[in-house]
Amino acid sequence: MVERQSPIEPELHPGSHGNFEHGVEIILTETRPGSILQLAAWPGEEKRLMAGIRTVTGLALPDGAGGGIADGVKAVFGFAPGKFTVVDDAEGLASAFAGVITPAIGTVTDLSHGRTAIRIAGPKAEWVLAKFFAIDFALPAFPVGAGRSTTHHDVFAQIQRTGADQFDIYVFRSFARSFWKALCHASEEVGYEVQ
Amino acid sequence: MSPRRAETGGRIDRLRTIRFTFDGTPYTGYAGDTLASALLANGVTLFGRSFKYHRPRGVLTAGVEEPNALVTVLRGEVREPNIAATMVEIYDGLVAVSQNRFPSLAWDVNAINQLGGKILSAGFYYKTFMGPVIGPLKGTRFWMFCEHFIRRAAGLGRAGTTADPERYERMNAFCDVLVVGSGPAGLMAARAAADQGQRVILCELEPNFGGSANWSRETIDGTPAADWAARAIGQLEGHDNVRLLPRTTVWGYYDGNTLAALERVTDHKEAPARGEPRHRYWAIRARSVVLATGSFERPLVFPGNDRPGVMLAHASERYANEYGVLPGDRIALFTNNDSAYRSALALKNAGAAIVAIIDVRQELSGEMRKLATEAEAEILSAHAVVATEGGKALSGLKVQRFDMVSGALTGDARSIHADCLLMSGGWSPTIHLASQAGASAEWDAARQAFLPPRPTQKWVGAGAFTGSFSTAEAIAEGRTAGLSAAGATGAPTALPVVEGAPGDPDPAPVFEIKAKGKSFVDFQHDVTAEDVRLAHREGFVSVEHLKRYTTLGMATDQGKSSNVPGLAIMAEALGKPIPEVGTTRFRPPYSAVSIGSLAAERFGDLKPERLTPMHDWHIANGATMYSAGLWYRPMIYGLAGETIEQAYVREAKATRDSAGIVDVSTLGKIAVQGPDAAEFLDRVYTNMFSTLAVGKARYGLMLREDGLAFDDGTTWRLGEQDFLMTTTTANAGKVMQHLEYFLDVIWPELKVTVTSVTDEWAGAAIGGPNARAILAACVKGTAVDNATLPFMGIVRGEIADVPVMICRLSFSGEMAFEVYSGAGYGTHVWEALIGAGKPFGLVTYGLEALGTMRIEKGHVTGAEIDGRTTARDLHLDWMLSKKKPFIGSAMMDREGLIAPDRLQLVGLVSLDNRPLNGGAHIVEELDEANPHDSIGHITACCYSPALGKHIALALVSGGKARHGTRAFVSDPLRNRFGPIEIVSNHFYDPDGSRMHG
Amino acid sequence: MLITCPYCGPRDVIEFTYQGDGNRQRPQPASQDLDAWNAYVYDRLNPAGDHNEIWQHSGGCRAHLRVVRNTLTHEISSSGFARGDHKAARHKLEAKS
Ligand SMILES: [Zn+2]
Repeated sequence: MVERQSPIEPELHPGSHGNFEHGVEIILTETRPGSILQLAAWPGEEKRLMAGIRTVTGLALPDGAGGGIADGVKAVFGFAPGKFTVVDDAEGLASAFAGVITPAIGTVTDLSHGRTAIRIAGPKAEWVLAKFFAIDFALPAFPVGAGRSTTHHDVFAQIQRTGADQFDIYVFRSFARSFWKALCHASEEVGYEVQ
Repeated sequence: MSPRRAETGGRIDRLRTIRFTFDGTPYTGYAGDTLASALLANGVTLFGRSFKYHRPRGVLTAGVEEPNALVTVLRGEVREPNIAATMVEIYDGLVAVSQNRFPSLAWDVNAINQLGGKILSAGFYYKTFMGPVIGPLKGTRFWMFCEHFIRRAAGLGRAGTTADPERYERMNAFCDVLVVGSGPAGLMAARAAADQGQRVILCELEPNFGGSANWSRETIDGTPAADWAARAIGQLEGHDNVRLLPRTTVWGYYDGNTLAALERVTDHKEAPARGEPRHRYWAIRARSVVLATGSFERPLVFPGNDRPGVMLAHASERYANEYGVLPGDRIALFTNNDSAYRSALALKNAGAAIVAIIDVRQELSGEMRKLATEAEAEILSAHAVVATEGGKALSGLKVQRFDMVSGALTGDARSIHADCLLMSGGWSPTIHLASQAGASAEWDAARQAFLPPRPTQKWVGAGAFTGSFSTAEAIAEGRTAGLSAAGATGAPTALPVVEGAPGDPDPAPVFEIKAKGKSFVDFQHDVTAEDVRLAHREGFVSVEHLKRYTTLGMATDQGKSSNVPGLAIMAEALGKPIPEVGTTRFRPPYSAVSIGSLAAERFGDLKPERLTPMHDWHIANGATMYSAGLWYRPMIYGLAGETIEQAYVREAKATRDSAGIVDVSTLGKIAVQGPDAAEFLDRVYTNMFSTLAVGKARYGLMLREDGLAFDDGTTWRLGEQDFLMTTTTANAGKVMQHLEYFLDVIWPELKVTVTSVTDEWAGAAIGGPNARAILAACVKGTAVDNATLPFMGIVRGEIADVPVMICRLSFSGEMAFEVYSGAGYGTHVWEALIGAGKPFGLVTYGLEALGTMRIEKGHVTGAEIDGRTTARDLHLDWMLSKKKPFIGSAMMDREGLIAPDRLQLVGLVSLDNRPLNGGAHIVEELDEANPHDSIGHITACCYSPALGKHIALALVSGGKARHGTRAFVSDPLRNRFGPIEIVSNHFYDPDGSRMHG
Repeated sequence: MLITCPYCGPRDVIEFTYQGDGNRQRPQPASQDLDAWNAYVYDRLNPAGDHNEIWQHSGGCRAHLRVVRNTLTHEISSSGFARGDHKAARHKLEAKS
């Protein structure tokens, strides 16, 4: 099995960085899930698509725009009308959906190589992310499990809140290194650890 | 220690001595001092020279509105000019210098300008330097001659030339209630909103919260106002739904209740902590805003009102009460309103002698007379200051009897000996943000001030901002505003009780004392009352024109102190009431904003960039990278000692001789999926895609709605309902939006999903006579022979245990293949291909060789599909299907788009064997002295190794009919003229035998 | 300026791309009525007041919105998916507020 190359690798320096003498308040990780898929339902077929996601992943999506759920291994969230991102630590999720999401329901697009997943965790996660994105990261406005689509300059990002102090960010692979560098830079102020 | 520092009092820390320098002289101050308060404490009176006349200037205010005391702060090699000394907090090692003086502040050669006042009057620049040359000393050419000297003499601080190493950041914030200003009104509003459970942000531009409570010497609920404010802040700190931002100026109020603020995070520190930004630019989206921005005291306009030692009355109160500094020992006050009496008493209590209170009003209330008595001050009612005396510091003033109604001065002038003159011309609410947010302000005749407009966005005002100048009103309005911003009503409750000096908030309508001598209206831009009248005499009647002509209010302080006096003088000249003259609309920023904070992370290392999966390999293997939009792509892989041209010629030649490989991962790739995908492509492309077989690719052309060419690329049919569209690198984003628009807005009935998969795939194009053999050596799971993989065929297989998709298509004109793999395997597959190519002499090539080979083939790119060319112009009319409508089909045959003299794609060959230049014009007759009658221009050029000539692609009028004829390049900018031959754009292998194999 | 995306909620204008006058009517694809095409491609309303506009939430969910924006005040009185019935979107917004 050939290992996938990380776009961040040369800039990924495990350890504590920045102003960490008073403790690190941010932990940055490249999570490298095996599968990242985009599922899109035709108008009116959203419920069937969500049912299909439940069949394959066991995750029951809540209703509503940007609703999502994560169980530590798999994650799913809505990011656009009728569209969902489904993530699995294991590879090969696309084939699992092959017979489930029929052309009558919608489409499955494999983005496992095309998107890079970065996790930012810690008490200052909201603070650091607010430097990049013009969206409200406060817990009541952005509950655990929910997803958001937004941009930092040209860097398009999908963000899922996977904990009170934890966010998983999906960016285009080609932007991943420069975004990672910017994330590290922005975290220096509060001290951060790369895992 | 200091001549003017009191032993006790103020909010400074006398146990912490701070050392700093001003103009090279070492001084000490205390923690909590501003540069202005520390220098005043040291007896410094001269802070700078004025803008135009180089007059000596002291400090006029104690805050953000300071027009005079502007300094440059140096940090190492970095200099920041034009900072108000009143806003600089001193720290150990602070280095500040004065501005606009030569050779030194005390002895300034340009002070001679004071004598030439007539010459430098309003409109001096316009009159002297604009327009035709009449005589030797007028006109635009004269300006060009004089500019160097004038620019050096006029103006303010000098900007630095070294790169700023500081860090700047941008922050996004959301809140229910943003409170701007932390005086009693702001504090009450913040508390009221916070108690309702609202998310509150409180911004204060000064280092300390509390506003006027810090210096008013009033008591609130029986305790000193400053203590009351400190307690209120303590309570707010206890709320986790409140964010307190000191040193934060809200400087812009934009649509949708979006506000911009600048937080000066480390300017007051010797050095920032690691990772700490110098400034933070806050973009705050607030559900509602409480404007509690207070008010500015206005100067009075009278001769010599700019002399060092003349200061606003409340500013002296601040220096005395907040910093324990007396601006003078013998102080006179000049006022048109009651507030100066409170100032007089404060200065008296702080230890100064109040020699006189000169009041323009005849009638004074008993309360004011009582305050004057307490201050042991002589009252000169119905008097005015007509002159000040002294050089670099005030030594005295002259007063005369004054009739407020007629403005007449009568009787003998009386001299008063004083080292400080405090003036108060009434108060102007700080309505800047409200004005930025919408409607224009309204003149209030009683207050003699512009009051805030009716809100057009979601804000509420409170306190002095609304014209309610007393602290008791501020407290009541603040609470109401906080509740209303929170959408609550709140039960009536007992409000804090304020005890302070009495006073009528309405001033007498006196702005100027007309007497002999320069009376300044705009201190920072050196605009006098006479300049305003001169502008009027010369026919300027609109306040906007007046501003521009005199530059009144256009300095960095934006006329915070000069606006209303200037208008009043203008109104008088026009014989109109002030409201009919009108006020100008305030615009962002409220006060100076660092460019660094606006740029934040958008430059240098942190600028977003896109890298292909093989980026590190390219770098490690000697590629010179080239930025194409946000992408980085190899330009050449140069060998030691090679020039760029030598490198690309070698790369292109080796490719045509054997094989070459290039990274094409940047090509835009869009997954087009769904039952209607083929139908959709038929509508989007000019040619048919529904007829394309699964496992085949086709070259496609898109037009815009107006019939002009838009983009081209190949689209691969991977399955019945599954297409992979490729676009040019540059247009990937635009094509995506184009497709999304049609699917979402025009044809919502089509069941099609489009997804950007550019980053999913790594792409390597391998071409040349040996390309197939190289593939055959490394591909498993499929054959790559002509039968299995014909031109435009697609196969799937494996290279080095990784699944790949191979399409046989050619951009170089050689037998070529594009090999796609998952991006995470890109380098792995690339290296396998390089390894397999070794025995064949496979070269890596970059953009230069890619461009060279495409020019040799006559393929078009963005240089030719430039938004002005049609399919016909580019000889792509064979791609225009007649069997179906498509985007652009209705508009593409319009008269102008099919005219025979349109610019058409041709090839050019240089006949003098010299290189051609992109952008050079083509002419029929050469006229180097007077180039004219261009028939077209070069879009791309190169030295062609295949032809051994300098060639180019060009767009030439009626180009196709000119094949075989001669013309000339005419490029006067680069002085390149010479003969060329116009030929077909297909220079190389026109029948395609090489790529079809 | 903030635009309320029916999917994403209120977002800063930097996340959006203006996609033109929302009053334009595209002729039938096969139409040869050049005047109609001309009007569609080139004619734009330019009212001083409420304007019906198309905006794409390009930095978010990428949906196209129909937005009624006052060109004098920038006040946005309604926004909804361009795909759906615009009037319905307006009612939904009003019901919410
Ligand atoms: Zn959206």
